[in-house]
Amino acid sequence: MATTIRNRTQRSERGTARGGAARRVRRLPRPAGAAFGPTLTLDGGEPYGSDTPAHSLETLSSVAGGILESLAPRFLRDLNHEIRGRLAASPIELNAYGYDPWGFNPDVARRVLLISALLYRYYFRVQTHGIENLPDGRMLVIGNHAGQIAIDALMIGTATVLEADPPRVLRGMGEYWLPTVPFVNVLMARTGGVVGTPRNCIEILEHEEAVIAFPEGVRGMTKPFRQRYQLQEFGYGFMRLALQTGTPIVPVAVVGSEEQAPSLGNFMPLARLLGMPAFPLVVTPFPYPVRYHISFGEPMDFRGNPNDEDDAIGKKVARVRARIHEMLQAGLRRRRSIFL
Amino acid sequence: MDRLLITGIAGGQGRLVARRVADDYQVSGVDRAPWEGHPSQIAVHTMDLRKKKFEDIFRRERPAAVVHLAFVRHFRADPRVRHEINVAGTKRLLECCAQYAVKKLVVLSSSYVYGALPESSYYMDEETALNVSRHYPDVRDLAELDMLCTAFLWKYPEIATTILRPVNTLGHYVHSAIGAYLKMRYVPTVLGFNPMLQFVHEEDVAEAIARTLEAGLRGVFNLAGPGAVPLKVAIRETGGTAVPLPEIAIRGALKRLFRLGLFHLPSAAVDFVKYPCTVDGRRFCRAAGFAPLFTLEEIFSSVRR
Repeated sequence: MATTIRNRTQRSERGTARGGAARRVRRLPRPAGAAFGPTLTLDGGEPYGSDTPAHSLETLSSVAGGILESLAPRFLRDLNHEIRGRLAASPIELNAYGYDPWGFNPDVARRVLLISALLYRYYFRVQTHGIENLPDGRMLVIGNHAGQIAIDALMIGTATVLEADPPRVLRGMGEYWLPTVPFVNVLMARTGGVVGTPRNCIEILEHEEAVIAFPEGVRGMTKPFRQRYQLQEFGYGFMRLALQTGTPIVPVAVVGSEEQAPSLGNFMPLARLLGMPAFPLVVTPFPYPVRYHISFGEPMDFRGNPNDEDDAIGKKVARVRARIHEMLQAGLRRRRSIFL
Repeated sequence: MDRLLITGIAGGQGRLVARRVADDYQVSGVDRAPWEGHPSQIAVHTMDLRKKKFEDIFRRERPAAVVHLAFVRHFRADPRVRHEINVAGTKRLLECCAQYAVKKLVVLSSSYVYGALPESSYYMDEETALNVSRHYPDVRDLAELDMLCTAFLWKYPEIATTILRPVNTLGHYVHSAIGAYLKMRYVPTVLGFNPMLQFVHEEDVAEAIARTLEAGLRGVFNLAGPGAVPLKVAIRETGGTAVPLPEIAIRGALKRLFRLGLFHLPSAAVDFVKYPCTVDGRRFCRAAGFAPLFTLEEIFSSVRR
């Protein structure tokens, strides 16, 4: 019972905090007729109550979630609270049902962020530099890609939610086959990802949001250990989109990702057989607890014709690549140990 | 007062459009089914678009404007008849429009013509290819009639032709597959998928048609409603319970039931509750000064069980 009361108090406190002028999310009024049944959960679960059997099932599960949550250690509850507050302060427009036009939902995103924040703080112990360089409004975050699985993307995305002011949700551009994978497609959409078509990217940038892209693509992510911190070739697509939408590019360098899962080489025959872009020969069953260093550079503005020939675009891309290379080298010089 | 001819006037959308424009036009309508108790100032001809006598209406009434709504969108009838009404019927109507100097033509196509594909952009504009038949050949006639009308638009610059492609239309009068689907008590969904769906209220569609006639627009326009929500939110808000089932089971069941004539929806329709088919409606809003009057909540409550 004591937990119940505490939870309710916290809930109402948050309610007033949310109503404050500092709140940047534009949330439409809740639809009329929806009952605001008080739920016991910290996370609130479904925003509206109702008395159909399905809804009582939902209430039951949210009560169970509430009990589980009250059993959780204090630091976890605090972290959950912090992420909720930061997501609420991020400039994303939600409709009356709590979704943005591409299916982002802060309730689901918060759960994913809770896990990634634990990794961020306690496993990879990320050190973030230059987060104040993030501009307001639209931006294209361009980084180096490494480490066989896209933990670097997750850590950059966690950094911009936890450390930036205002918190920013980075929108990932997914591969075309991702929407066909059950559950993954839903998770991708709810956490802010979309299919990586140029049109989607343009729309999101014109909505003054932040998009993250890795122009090295799979080439960077699956390269063997001996090529660590050697930037692979950059694709040109991001530069054309930046020129077309007048978006500043924020270069970001990630140090640490290269050592999380060293690969001896690439076994292409098996990759082809499985229809995968690469099959890295990794010796570790899980990523090593390396320390991540993420540095955000100053925004780079480019002007020019987005339909210029490849040579002209390539020169601009090379400047971004050189900048990330510099930042990587600086990060490597600054780093004293891979793990500590 | 100008004369306006509405094809498919006895259908839910036809009735709404007729009532909406009855004060601005002298309205007459054609439909295969009769409209019992239609308003007395509206003349209703019970007739098939494919019949020779259909042309008589144009000869006699000389409509200045035509709203074309006479489509078969369900699968209860013979697929050949469906195709004939949708494509040959439309062709026939277009010929009449050209021959009898109609000034304005509004065709109510559908956003389904773009198809629900995994690699589609979220907010497709009007230039997007009509991809629906790649996975859903049963409705290729919808894409064909849309393209027939688009070709007509360019061929006859003197006629203000408008093709509207509304998103999922819900409401009390319009019978749509998505409406029937959402009205079920237990709604089967594809396990692991929950796409964003856009909805528009039937009255807003009627309003959009009226605005199009008023403004004398010309072109192809998506008609998006007030916004998008995940399918499961729509199911919850319309009072149903989502029952996620493996895709194989749903497709298998639909295929068998469809073949046996027990359920009238091809299995390819599953794509529309698996992938988003969402469109950018800004062009129409700008051109017609249109803003949907019905919110998502009002749309859902209009079909709530």
